[in-house]
Amino acid sequence: MWAIARTELKKTVQDKGLWFWTFVLPIVFIVAFVAILSGEETSYKELVTQIIPGYTIMFAFFIMISMVIVFVKDKERGMVARIASTPLSTHQYFFGKWLPFMIVVLVQITVLFGFGVIVYDLPLGDPLSLILLSLALAFIVTGWGMALAVNVRTENMGIAMTQIIALGGALLGGLWMPVEFMPETVQNISKALPQYWALQGYKDIILSNGGLADIWLNLLILIVAGVAGGILALVSYPRFLRQSRS
Amino acid sequence: MIDVQHVSKHYGPIHALDDISFQIHKGTCFGLVGPNGAGKSTLMKILSGILLNFDGDIGVNDWKVSKDRTKIKQQIGYIPQEICLEETLNARDNLILFGNMYGLKGKNLQVRMDEVLEQIGLTDRKKDKVMTFSGGMKRRLNIGCALLHKPAIVIMDEPTVGIDPQSRNSIFSLIHQLKAEGSTIIYSSHYMEEVEQLCDSIGLIDKGQLMEFGRMEELLDKHGKPSLFIAGDDIGEKMLQEFGEAEAKGNGYLLNSDEPLLTLEKLVTHCREHQLEPRRLELYQPRLEDIFFNLTGTQLRDA
Repeated sequence: MWAIARTELKKTVQDKGLWFWTFVLPIVFIVAFVAILSGEETSYKELVTQIIPGYTIMFAFFIMISMVIVFVKDKERGMVARIASTPLSTHQYFFGKWLPFMIVVLVQITVLFGFGVIVYDLPLGDPLSLILLSLALAFIVTGWGMALAVNVRTENMGIAMTQIIALGGALLGGLWMPVEFMPETVQNISKALPQYWALQGYKDIILSNGGLADIWLNLLILIVAGVAGGILALVSYPRFLRQSRS
Repeated sequence: MIDVQHVSKHYGPIHALDDISFQIHKGTCFGLVGPNGAGKSTLMKILSGILLNFDGDIGVNDWKVSKDRTKIKQQIGYIPQEICLEETLNARDNLILFGNMYGLKGKNLQVRMDEVLEQIGLTDRKKDKVMTFSGGMKRRLNIGCALLHKPAIVIMDEPTVGIDPQSRNSIFSLIHQLKAEGSTIIYSSHYMEEVEQLCDSIGLIDKGQLMEFGRMEELLDKHGKPSLFIAGDDIGEKMLQEFGEAEAKGNGYLLNSDEPLLTLEKLVTHCREHQLEPRRLELYQPRLEDIFFNLTGTQLRDA
């Protein structure tokens, strides 16, 4: 389990593309949108609280692309079957694969929020609530990433699905503009999306000085959705293994 | 001892394996031979613990696959047909990855890595990334990753596909070494010459069924007919009919005879008398490929 996690982390660190998607592009988006939208009627605090957590959540979902690539490659070159021939259990295999991506997303959230604090004086609110919500966000994106990665047949299919989930979720979940500005139907759809609950949680912590009592439902929804992703991945594993070359 | 007991595997209506039973004795090399789609890979996947759902059972010493899968997996080193390596990492990191999966750590792992790197001839390339390796070197590392934990059973699925003769010889030496150390080897290949050269016993599999199984010499004796091979520009089937039953083979003819030495003598005399000059005239040793053809009516490579 730890062997797979270490190896995956090593490969991830070597992947320059991931660094671009995870850190460089989100920072470019944050800088650009803060510059474009500054000076409008919204207060500066509300603006940075919308944009920095919003784009952090959106780009966190893009980790699903990296997960899809790793799992599909493992399947195509027979690594899944090879690992299945070792004493390692299915749970250990998934945990080993999942952990490095969880770490990457947590580092991503830390870097992007840190950038917000240093450059835009982003207030952070209750640290414990912030940490738990960030863990829940990392948990759901990696949980869904595993479910997607195990169920798609090709990398292209996985990339397309990630874009639908990440961009569609960003649009409807209020990451690009507050849901209050959207029609009522869209506002109702938003509530079915993890992006909405993650952003509302961050807003409660940062804007309203909210604590655990205020974000428990957000945490619960994100964790339950993440667990559902993990279970779907585990249930789909036998088919994934059958599709693996050997 | 490995005891395969009535193993069947269905993919929907397709019978990939149909009631297969055989035994492999400890310390021997068992060759699994058959054309593509015969069910070889399915059987290899079952033997290596990758395929979980199948009918029947497999006994390994005192254990059963149905009950003691993890214990059995610890005893197995599976070398798949595909090269399963992390290309962006170096040879050493790949060995660490697989060593850890089998529970090797610390100094023990270090010692085994050094031994395996020596065995596969990659000691001086251990810090190089796998992506810089030749096909043969990757194959050898692929094998090395399965040997770190000193498995009692080594399962090799087409380990010599697409490699140069030098690496092939190196792999053969390794197999002889493993046999000498007492490992049981299950070797799947469609290269009949390799199986003949390496294996003590074989199983011929076709369309999911075990067509024949036993010790190599016994099978060759059982199915091989004594015969002669003759080839030459002025040698024809009609001329050979007076010496026995002739059949075309390659660029010559195979002449079946119950008394091959006597027939050989007669043929030599006949050729001298009629001033015929065969390019080849020799006693023909039946090959595995002939047995397979006799049993299935199919040439292995064309199947």
